[in-house]
Amino acid sequence: MGEVILTMDSIDKTFPGVHALDHVNFELRRGEVHALMGENGAGKSTLMKVLTGIYTKDSGTITFEGKEVEYHNTREAQDAGIVIVHQELNMVGDLTVAQNIFIGREFRKGIMIDDRKMIRESKKLFDELHIDIDPRARMSDLTVGKQQMCEIAKAISHKAKIIIFDEPSAALTEKEIEDLFTIIRGLRAQNLGIIYISHRMDEIKVITDRVTVMRDGTYVGTLITNDCTKEDIINMMVGRVIYEEPKTHSMVPDDAPVVLKVEHLNAGKMVQDVSFELRKGEILGFSGLMGAGRTETARALFGADPRQSGDIYINGRKVTINSPEDAVKNGIGYLSEDRKRFGIVVQKTITENSTLSTLKEYMAGLFINKKAEKTVTEQYIRELDTKTPGADQLVVNLSGGNQQKVVIAKWLVRNCDILIFDEPTRGIDVGAKNEIYKLMNRLAAEGKSIIMISSEMTEILRMSDRIIVMCEGKKTGEIPIEQATQEAIMDKATRDIG
Amino acid sequence: MKKKMLAILMVAVLAAVACVPALAAENLSDTTEGVAQFEGITANEAYDFQIVVKSFQSTYWQAALKGMDQAAEELGVTYSAQGPASESDIADQVNMLNSAINGAPAGVGLAACDTSSVLESLQAAVDAGVPIVAFDTGIADAPEGSVVCTVVTDNTAAGEVAAVNLYEAVKDQIGDAPVRIGEINQDNYALNIQQRGLGFINKLIELAAADGYTVAMEGNEFYVNAAEGAVEGDADIILEVRVPAQTTVDLCSTEAGTILDKEDTIAVFGSNQTAAEGLLVANDNREVLGDTVVGVGFDAGTSIKAAVEDGTFLGAVTQSPLMMGYYCIYALTAAANGQELIDVPTDGYWYNAENMTDESIAPNLYD
Amino acid sequence: MAKKKTIFSQEVIVAFVLIALYLIFRTISSDFGKYTTFLSMMDISYYYVLMAIGVAFPLITGGVDLSIGTGMICYALAGGFLIRNYNCPTGLAILVSIMFGVVIGLFNGVLISVLGLPPFLATLCNCMITRGLGSVVTGSFAVPWPTAKQANGWFHAIFKITTADKTKIPLGLVWIFLLMLLMQFILAHTRFGRYTIAIGSNKEAAVLSGINVKFYHVMVYMVSGLFAGLASIAYAAVIKTVQPGTGAGMELDAIGGAIVGGVSASGGYGTIYGTVIGAYVIIFLKQGLPYIGFNANMQQIITGLVLIGAVCIDIIKRKVIV
Repeated sequence: MGEVILTMDSIDKTFPGVHALDHVNFELRRGEVHALMGENGAGKSTLMKVLTGIYTKDSGTITFEGKEVEYHNTREAQDAGIVIVHQELNMVGDLTVAQNIFIGREFRKGIMIDDRKMIRESKKLFDELHIDIDPRARMSDLTVGKQQMCEIAKAISHKAKIIIFDEPSAALTEKEIEDLFTIIRGLRAQNLGIIYISHRMDEIKVITDRVTVMRDGTYVGTLITNDCTKEDIINMMVGRVIYEEPKTHSMVPDDAPVVLKVEHLNAGKMVQDVSFELRKGEILGFSGLMGAGRTETARALFGADPRQSGDIYINGRKVTINSPEDAVKNGIGYLSEDRKRFGIVVQKTITENSTLSTLKEYMAGLFINKKAEKTVTEQYIRELDTKTPGADQLVVNLSGGNQQKVVIAKWLVRNCDILIFDEPTRGIDVGAKNEIYKLMNRLAAEGKSIIMISSEMTEILRMSDRIIVMCEGKKTGEIPIEQATQEAIMDKATRDIG
Repeated sequence: MKKKMLAILMVAVLAAVACVPALAAENLSDTTEGVAQFEGITANEAYDFQIVVKSFQSTYWQAALKGMDQAAEELGVTYSAQGPASESDIADQVNMLNSAINGAPAGVGLAACDTSSVLESLQAAVDAGVPIVAFDTGIADAPEGSVVCTVVTDNTAAGEVAAVNLYEAVKDQIGDAPVRIGEINQDNYALNIQQRGLGFINKLIELAAADGYTVAMEGNEFYVNAAEGAVEGDADIILEVRVPAQTTVDLCSTEAGTILDKEDTIAVFGSNQTAAEGLLVANDNREVLGDTVVGVGFDAGTSIKAAVEDGTFLGAVTQSPLMMGYYCIYALTAAANGQELIDVPTDGYWYNAENMTDESIAPNLYD
Repeated sequence: MAKKKTIFSQEVIVAFVLIALYLIFRTISSDFGKYTTFLSMMDISYYYVLMAIGVAFPLITGGVDLSIGTGMICYALAGGFLIRNYNCPTGLAILVSIMFGVVIGLFNGVLISVLGLPPFLATLCNCMITRGLGSVVTGSFAVPWPTAKQANGWFHAIFKITTADKTKIPLGLVWIFLLMLLMQFILAHTRFGRYTIAIGSNKEAAVLSGINVKFYHVMVYMVSGLFAGLASIAYAAVIKTVQPGTGAGMELDAIGGAIVGGVSASGGYGTIYGTVIGAYVIIFLKQGLPYIGFNANMQQIITGLVLIGAVCIDIIKRKVIV
């Protein structure tokens, strides 16, 4: 490791409603691979976006090669030598590899683009990096892994001094990850500074020199990779004080029957051989990092996505679910994570939204029985304590929490006994959150069974009777609430160190 | 389908009319009589009329408006003219007609694109007390009291004039082997085109029969079905009628091209300005008109006049759009005055290289 | 399927289709094989092919230009009007027509690239505007351009010359060929062409790569307008009398031709070779079907089916890649 090339000092950034970066520090040396870790929402991406000019910091200083700098767009950062390889690749599929690498700065012979020279230069670049790709290949014909290699080569061709990798290994095969590491080692040997953002503990151990951990927008600390353990890192990632009491014990009686049994559910890479049970009156928490496969599992169960295999039993009886319609018929309701896109018809009234999935039952011949609709809607408004001037209020005018209640009402109207809540309190303020929690507890007490998918550790610990942890498509852990701790959950949610 | 039945019915009626000269004379009054009714007329007020033309696609309509301008100046009345973008934009014209009627003008002059489509609007005109004068094309089955006067070329007669002249030029070629005579009509739903087209067809069949020749029909169903006296199967003359999908010159030229290419074609008739111009465009590359194939046009316009002059066309039949526009305004004024009117048929004149500069013909040959 | 020039590339397939059509029509109707028929077909083809070449560029960016049909008529009306009413020299009138096309193209480009209107909407509006504009300029009447025999009708010779022994030669084909080569070169080997493809393939990536996407996007529509202007001259040379109110629908034949020729309907891929061949397929259908007895309405149905076939092939190819 060489001298310090980059210092980010006390960086602060606030967005409306959230303090994204709270006096964060970060230091990078030449010839170092420095990991940046933290839970979802910890602020890693935000910090990098500030560095590369996508966001403007509110305060703090960035010092690059001894000079204070501030970039206003990616071009400026690029020209200075700071390049980021994004998770979603920015490649033009219909052009060739060479054309992509030099896009925007093509070599020219007069008015004609010198494609031959671009191919030669690309070949040179690939040889230096020991990458085996044909520069004349069409970009979209390559695997994702190879496309990423091209993106890296493109970054380097900008004469980069610092390269930031944002979750680079998510879409790569084992072999490709090895190739990636070889390249990174090569870059390190050339004295570049490398920032490596990833969740994967095993990779961190293999390729990085130091690890910086962020949590809830703050800088927690930096460790030397060789000297630390997975537990150390996890502690830093989750070691927050929780003000609310986690649930101390399960509320489910011992003799509660199994209402839902899922066996060997398979739906692509994100749902691999997942099996679990749900008991009557239980709140089953699904925890894990983003991309772990929890939503995908729920959608496969609900029939919204196709599945390759898996058996579903409801109350002991095997059922066929190939579409949401089947699921609803069997009494399963699903509140999706993206309320506005999947849950409510924003421009319509509460009444219209509530009875949306059960309109058949409110038909009198060819017409909708508005009176019956209104009666049942008002009943649920009362029951759920939805704050609204009336049943005819447009849903778009309600607060997030109340909108969520409308969605819940929709499923309650349907008499669903099994409810899947996917990130139920996302984007909802604290007060409303509590109301949703109260509601969920009440529903459970009344005998409904709930699966709750959540990325918020506090929420999981507060509400679940039992917790299932998923990691990269597989179920990695099942923890009763009595034994659940943040560390235990995070341990299962991240890969083991090899 | 309904339109077809209506058309066939109308044609049957017309055919019946044509076959009984006496009746014909009664239905369509003599030109001089029609004109005489306007003698000494003055406008009771400075009327304002609405005119709806078929379109402004060809220079034909320019001439009609010139006639209207003249009449309007003489009488001290005013008018405003509108028309759809092309003669196949039937729906657009109906809309324009309805707006014109709703404006409660002193009267409306109408050249209908599709005669059956305007019948409802005409009923509305009757109810609103707005008199309608039809010009350029008559409207069969017009509601009682809607069209007070029709100022049209006797289109059937005009078609017959073309047939007579064309037959005269080619009759010697008939007899040994089957020959082909082509007709290009820009559409099959406007009454004037239908009358003209059928006028030509039926006259040709009649003339051929008088010489002992048979005629078989080919091509566009409407005209094929409406022809009188044609035979099935082999005949001395094959009369092929083609109609393009839209009333444009380039589409007409494609259709004309197929006929011109056939070995047995000896003559082709284009029944209006667009069709005749299409025929000329098709001839550009083949250069058979005036040589091995006799060409007959209709209306005037720069290209057609040039073709008649240099012999590419044997000749053409011109209408008098000038006079039609002129008398249209007169009829509207008379109607607004409260006068009872009779129809004013105008003539179709045959012109060729020899007589086109004559005083009686030349004014009608607009550019 | 990689876009290598394999035996199965769409351009090659379309070329075969073209030849097959010719042979079929020729077999069924001997009249179709006549030289004069060929000449007539070539005459009609010039303005369609020119429009197709121009519209290929917006199509490759994933957009479209619906204003080229009525636009062509509008530009032709304007030029002819100047000649007839103001005795404007033909050369100048031709220039005016072409520049008119470029200006409308610029207007389209600004609406789409700078203001962000969807291309379908922006060009459709200009389609309506040019339709009316033509009538306003000429006072609603048809406008005849000078005939070949007149002194100022020299422009006819650009497209067709008559030799001493009265043979006519479709010279226009030569220009079409040269323009095809030129535009293909521009598409494949200049930055303008490269960025046109980039915009169609992944506009975001292009923007992030520092390309002045707005500028190139506007240029694309100016090219389309330019070719509509060129087409207007070809139209005037063949049809001679330009009628206002016509032109609507012609753009669909041009666009259809480009797509049949392999230009992807969703953008990112296309060649000018394919565009020209595809345009000729549409023209052959249009001209040939009347010869084998199909009336004009059947011809439209068949052309529509061919287009659906071409788009389906495009979609299948894309699915196979992904």
